[in-house]
Amino acid sequence: MKKILVVDDEESIRFLYQEELQEDGFEVEVAVNGEEALQKLPRFKPDLITLDIKMPGMNGIETLKKIRETERKTPIIMCSAYGEYKQDLTTWASDAYIVKCADLTELKSTIRKLLGLR
Amino acid sequence: MSGDPDAYELLKSIIDLSTSSIPIKAKLEQMLQTISEAFGSDQCLLLRREKIVENGFLSRLALERKPFWVDEESSYSGERIHPREKEFLRPTFVCIPLYDTTTFLGILYIGFSKKRKLAPQEIDLLLLIAKEMGEAIRNAHLLQKVEQTSSELAALHEMGKAATSTLKLEELLESIVKAGLKILKAKGGVLRIEDRRTKELKVQWSLGSYHQNPLDEKIAKRVLFTRTPFLLNHFSQDNPILSILCAPLLSKGGVLGTLAFYDKEADPSKFDESDFQLLLTMANQMACAIENALTHYETSQLAEANERRVRQLIILWELNKALLTTVNFERIVQMTLTAITIGAGLGFNRAMLFIVNERTRSLEGTMAVGPDNAEEAGKIWTTLSQRRESLTDLVTQLHLSFDSNSTLNSIVKGIQIPLEQEQCILSRTVLEGRPFNIQFPQAEEERLQTRCERGCHLGSEVGCYVGEHLGDPRPYSFATVPLWGKGKVIGVILVDNLYNQNPITEEDLQVLGMFSSQAGLAIENAMLYRNLEEVHQTLKEAQTFLVHREKMAALGELSSTIAHEIRNPLVSIGGFARRLYRSIPEEAPEKRYTQTIMIEVSRLEKILSDLLNYTRYDALVFKELNLPDVLEESLSMVSEKFEDGAIELIKEFAQDLPKAMGDPQQLKQVFFSLFSNSLQAIKGKGRLSLRVHPISKNGSSLIRVEVEDTGSGIDPENLHNIFNPFYSTKESGLGLGLPLVYKIITSHRGQIEVDNHPGEGVTFIITLPATQEREGK
Repeated sequence: MKKILVVDDEESIRFLYQEELQEDGFEVEVAVNGEEALQKLPRFKPDLITLDIKMPGMNGIETLKKIRETERKTPIIMCSAYGEYKQDLTTWASDAYIVKCADLTELKSTIRKLLGLR
Repeated sequence: MSGDPDAYELLKSIIDLSTSSIPIKAKLEQMLQTISEAFGSDQCLLLRREKIVENGFLSRLALERKPFWVDEESSYSGERIHPREKEFLRPTFVCIPLYDTTTFLGILYIGFSKKRKLAPQEIDLLLLIAKEMGEAIRNAHLLQKVEQTSSELAALHEMGKAATSTLKLEELLESIVKAGLKILKAKGGVLRIEDRRTKELKVQWSLGSYHQNPLDEKIAKRVLFTRTPFLLNHFSQDNPILSILCAPLLSKGGVLGTLAFYDKEADPSKFDESDFQLLLTMANQMACAIENALTHYETSQLAEANERRVRQLIILWELNKALLTTVNFERIVQMTLTAITIGAGLGFNRAMLFIVNERTRSLEGTMAVGPDNAEEAGKIWTTLSQRRESLTDLVTQLHLSFDSNSTLNSIVKGIQIPLEQEQCILSRTVLEGRPFNIQFPQAEEERLQTRCERGCHLGSEVGCYVGEHLGDPRPYSFATVPLWGKGKVIGVILVDNLYNQNPITEEDLQVLGMFSSQAGLAIENAMLYRNLEEVHQTLKEAQTFLVHREKMAALGELSSTIAHEIRNPLVSIGGFARRLYRSIPEEAPEKRYTQTIMIEVSRLEKILSDLLNYTRYDALVFKELNLPDVLEESLSMVSEKFEDGAIELIKEFAQDLPKAMGDPQQLKQVFFSLFSNSLQAIKGKGRLSLRVHPISKNGSSLIRVEVEDTGSGIDPENLHNIFNPFYSTKESGLGLGLPLVYKIITSHRGQIEVDNHPGEGVTFIITLPATQEREGK
């Protein structure tokens, strides 16, 4: 069973992603900010991370940098209400960039693609 | 003696002679003859003073005033007789001294060769006769005096008449010289007047050739300088006689000149003291009249000059007043040229204005006023002469009927002369800053050469295109004046009298110069005002743009914050609604409720992305692109609207279009928005036209795209707001479509214009800069 770490400061988003992804057969762990995500990473060892950009404390971009300092293979999907960082982030560090949307079809297909699932 | 004379007969004869009108000399001779015959004497003489030996016997008789006689019974043995008198005196004689009260007139002497007796009656008779002779002489003297006085008086009267008959200087001087000639009986005369300004003594009137004699001028100058009259009787071998009378013309103001006369018409031809006195009287009398006439002459000259000046000033004032009525450049220029050409103004036939373009260093034909041909000129002048308005009104109204399509105006507007073209009179007028008045140019350099490369000058082109057709240009007269702004020449005015061929005088040019300096300032002001207006307009646009951008920036900041805050809740609302939807069985009514939540959330999300699209600052990705391709892509996004055939699509894409530089995604968005709006505006049947053409503006290459629809158009009330965000008139939508179009086009350094016809449709015109390279080259 593939493991996904969902990092988002919004409780409702964390809840929605967790419900949806578990239903699709993933093991889901959540973190409310960058610090918590970095704490949980070594023990949980996720196969994929979804990372919100705007968060109190350590934000998504700083978290992304930190993670990439230690390892480069875990796919990271940046999820944001903004569209403006799309070009930058996809070119240098993350594997995908998704503008948050109520319709999770795009998110789910990106996850499957990155994890090599059908 | 033949016997006792008949006393009665003798006296009668003597009195008859005395009262007769024969000249005195003959009268006396006849009297002596009569006496001689009556007494039978050998000698009968009237001895004048000069015939009497001084201190002789007879002179003593004259002094004593007593008659004396010698006859048979008496002798003069006791008397002292001069030997010359002894030869002369007869044996018997009678001497009677004649007196006019105190003046000695002479001695009547009657001598007899033989001694004879003298009866007392005879002595008495002779005394009576002597008395009568004395009377006759006295009368003759009196008559002579009266005649002389009256002739002098008549002469002076004539002079006086001459002096008062006219105030015209020429006539007065002529009549003075003529009257003087008559009075003095001179052969010639010269009148000189000293010029008050130059102090030069000039001959004003002369008769005869005496003024050519160098002596004459010397004398005149001396007389003028010394203010003393002069009389010269010059005798020499060469000139038989030269007699000159010269007197200064003295008045209260000083010396005015000299009056001289020459050679008396008498023998000997010299003037005497009385002529001299007469001349002085004349000169004194005439000086006053001459001074008056001189003053009158100078005053009328001044008055005439003043009147002309005042007339010119009034015209200038009226014209300047007209210039003050506006600051509009076109109108000022029209009024200036109208004022120059109107008959009541400066009255030239045609006027042309050239303005200096500092940037290109050239003179540009700006405007011309004037009839195109002689018939038109005649028609205009007749009409104008019937109008009775003031000059100001005339000028301010006339320009309204100005015909900007006249041949002359279009020729002049096409003229451009580089200032470096120094052989052209127009350039020289600017460079030298002075007027030129060219009458029938003979030399090449006096011609107007406005277009050297074509080798034709204004003279043959504008001045006389009729002549050019005949291959023989008429001589063309014209004048130019520089148009002065503040401290520099801003243009040139060219005038001519092509139709009435009136010569252009220096005075015309002077007045034109005065008017031009006023007009120059007015035109410069209008130009400055025009520039100011342009700058003001640019500033206003820049300000509007800045305000708009400021608004957008604020909006962008605000909306991105809000969007972020709203987006997350929307995601969870929509996300859980979808979860619910999936868990609710098909037939349950809740299925529809949750579906409604999902749809509405989608709509909200769409609005949010529109808003973020509009407000965010995306870096543009410029590419060389083919605009028709972009248009086709945008069209494909709305293709379903054309499916039912109600709306006709017309495409007009020019061949050989240059490529454009732009962000294809954003431009696709632009045209998609425009098409969507248009198609939404067309109710039922209609037409959407797309036109793409290359154009050129200010030397740069552009592409013009027109999107025209037959929809309802834009309500004029909303027109100025269509590019403002959130100003939607549609029931749905945020009103960010056109603002985004505007934003994208301006960030492409393009322009967007709206040609709106409410109720008929609207055309959006977009111009985008093209790349310099053309397709296929």
